[in-house]
This record gives sequence, C-alpha cells and structure tokens, in this order.
Amino acid sequence: MTDDERLGALFRAAASDSAAPEPGFDHDSIVRTSRRITARRRTAVVVGGLALFAVVGVGGAIVLPGRTAGGDAATVAAPMHAPEGPSADSRAQRKAPPPAAAEGGPGVLMAPAPGAAAVGGPPPLGPGTTQCADRQDPALRAVVEEFLPEAIGAPEAAVTEECRPGGERGVNLEVGDGGTAGLLTVQYLPPGAAPSPPEGAVTAPTASGGTVVVSTRGDGPGAPAPFADRLHPLVTQLAPRL
Amino acid sequence: MDDASEREFAEYFRARRDAVRRTAFLLCGDWHRADDHAQAAFVKLHRHWRRIRDRDALDAWVRRTLVRSVVDESRRPWRRERFTAEPPADRAVVPPASEAVTTRHVLVDGLRAVPPRQRAVLVLRFLDGLDVAGTAAALNCSEGTVKSQTAHGLTALRAVLGDALDDLRPAG
Repeated sequence: MTDDERLGALFRAAASDSAAPEPGFDHDSIVRTSRRITARRRTAVVVGGLALFAVVGVGGAIVLPGRTAGGDAATVAAPMHAPEGPSADSRAQRKAPPPAAAEGGPGVLMAPAPGAAAVGGPPPLGPGTTQCADRQDPALRAVVEEFLPEAIGAPEAAVTEECRPGGERGVNLEVGDGGTAGLLTVQYLPPGAAPSPPEGAVTAPTASGGTVVVSTRGDGPGAPAPFADRLHPLVTQLAPRL
Repeated sequence: MDDASEREFAEYFRARRDAVRRTAFLLCGDWHRADDHAQAAFVKLHRHWRRIRDRDALDAWVRRTLVRSVVDESRRPWRRERFTAEPPADRAVVPPASEAVTTRHVLVDGLRAVPPRQRAVLVLRFLDGLDVAGTAAALNCSEGTVKSQTAHGLTALRAVLGDALDDLRPAG
C-alpha cells in the first residue's frame, strides 16, 4: 500500500458514516429552500427596479426644467447655482420674464428698480472688477447668449485695447442674421458713467443702476444691420440682469 | 424547473448526498456544520441546475461550491480559525476507544489545525480520490498550486499529529 493509498484509507475511515448523525436535510427541504430564495431574489429585483425607476423619475422631474403652457414663463432654480454672485453658467438657467418696461423716449427704455432682479432669477451682474473695461466680458456674453441664442459661438470681433474706467463691461461679436452679417455690440456702463451711444443704439438703465447700450451695424456702408429689429426686446431682457 | 429537470436533480441528490456530507465533514470537522454547508451547496445547485450544461462537471461544481462555503465561513470573524505555533497539549493524545473512533478523532482534530485551503486539497485528494488535475479543476487553481498545497498540508498535518499519523490504522 502506497503512502497515498494509506492516507486515502485513513481519510475515508475518518469520514465514515457510522458515527454520523442523520442528515439534517432531504430533497424536499432543498427544493423548498431553493424556491424560497429564488422568489425572494425575484421580489428584490422587482422592488429594486421600481425603486430605481421612482428615484430616476422623481430626480428627473426635479432637475429637468419643465415647460408650462406659457412657454418661457417656466423657471426652475438650478440647485448648483451659486447665490452670491453672477456666473458665466447662468445661461443654463431660464429666465423669468422681465417686468414690463415702458419706453421713455426713442431708443431709451424705462429702468427696473435699482438693485432689483427678476423675481426668482439671479442677481444683476453689476460692474466689472477689472481696472480697464473688459471689451469681451465672458459673464456679459453669457447673459447676451441667453437671450440671443444666435450669438452662441459667434467669433469675437477685433477690439481696441483702449483702457476705459474700471467696471465697464462689453461684448463685441461678429454675428450673422440670415443673410445679414455685421457687428453686435453690447456695453454695460457702471452707475455714474455717461453713455454716448452710437446712432441706432438702444439704451436702458439696468437693475444695478448702470446703463446697457446695445447696437448693431452691418458689414460695409449701407449694409443692413443684423438683429436690428431685436434690439429693443434684447435690451428689455438684459436690463434686469445687469 | 420542469419535471424532467426536477427528476434529474432528485436522482443526483440521492446519489451524492452522503458523499458530499462526508467531504463537508472533513472540511469543517463538525457534522452539523457539514450539514449546513452541504445543504447550501445543494440549494445552490438546484437554483443553477438548468444553467449547468455539462452534467459531467456536476461533482466538480458541487465540490467547488462546498469548499468555497467552508473557506468563506472560516474567514468570518466569529468563526475565524487561529493558528498557533504549538498544538494544544492533548492534541495528539489518542483517546481510549476502538481504532476507527481513534482514527476519526485524531485525523479530524489534526485537519482542523491545517489551513483551510490546504485542508481542502487534502480532503479532495485523499477522501474523494481526485488526482492533481481533478483537484485543480474543482478548486479552480493550477496543478502546481495543488501540488504545493498538498505538500504544505501534509507537512502541517504531520507537524500536528507527529508519529500518531503513522500509527493510525485505516480501520472501519
């Protein structure tokens, strides 16, 4: 008998059934337990699926902004929005309609109350923080793109490096409106700065006490200006946000 | 499961229950816990019966499930086995009884002192009579691992039992 055979005989003797108690389970108990576990797993899967569906559904209803029958009247505060100041991401938010503004004269609109913002909307952008005027201000551009989606992706127009008093913001874009191309300029002047709008510009006092000036001109003398018919609505929408 | 599958499972259960219990007993050293492990393995087999296509591999599948169950249990904090350099003083003391009872007591006590994976290799090789390749397939490891675990397991068993292992008689 080899060593392996002897060990095998020893192991079989040690595991002999002679001293073993009666088995504690039979075929029926195995099948019962198996079916119970299977049913429990299936229930858990169904409940888990329903819970996931509920979480995704409720979460989606909260996160995604819903549209009401009134179209742009819908507004949802984004949970990630920082309440302490304006942000370039504010384009992601939908805006409440601005208070109705009456025109105070040709090209000049009535101001919202100083410091006021759209109800439920972000606070006004206010003056810039740089020493010189920022002629291509990202925060101002974000607000403009919010109300003029055609400006999204428009190339920045060449601007001079003229240093104007701090707090002024500006955006100069090469835009196209159908077959019409030209330059769109949006300028924010801080409180106390006197505007000198070019011909055809539309101005309005802003919520922060400053002035917004929007103008457009076509490429070349006599060329039609893009978005000329949308300057008034644009200024009306920008004023409460600036 | 359909009726034909249920009949197949019942047939396999009747044929293999006692063998699986014996293997579980040497793996854990206690008949009641062996029943628990064997029952868990058969329940798992019943749940997966239709998905196991290779009927020739059923034994290997059950052995693997059984070993995994015992090894996993040995890792739980309340069941964790502690290995000591010195065996308890009365570990190799042969109780005054018949040779079969003596063999069972000494060998089962000695196996408890062997680490679980090495114990599993020894049980599959010497109780179930598997060769190196069969043991490797059952434990899902390489043949080299089986060889080394066998050598280490036997060394550990001899370290615990000493001459008692050679004195045992495979009676019963």
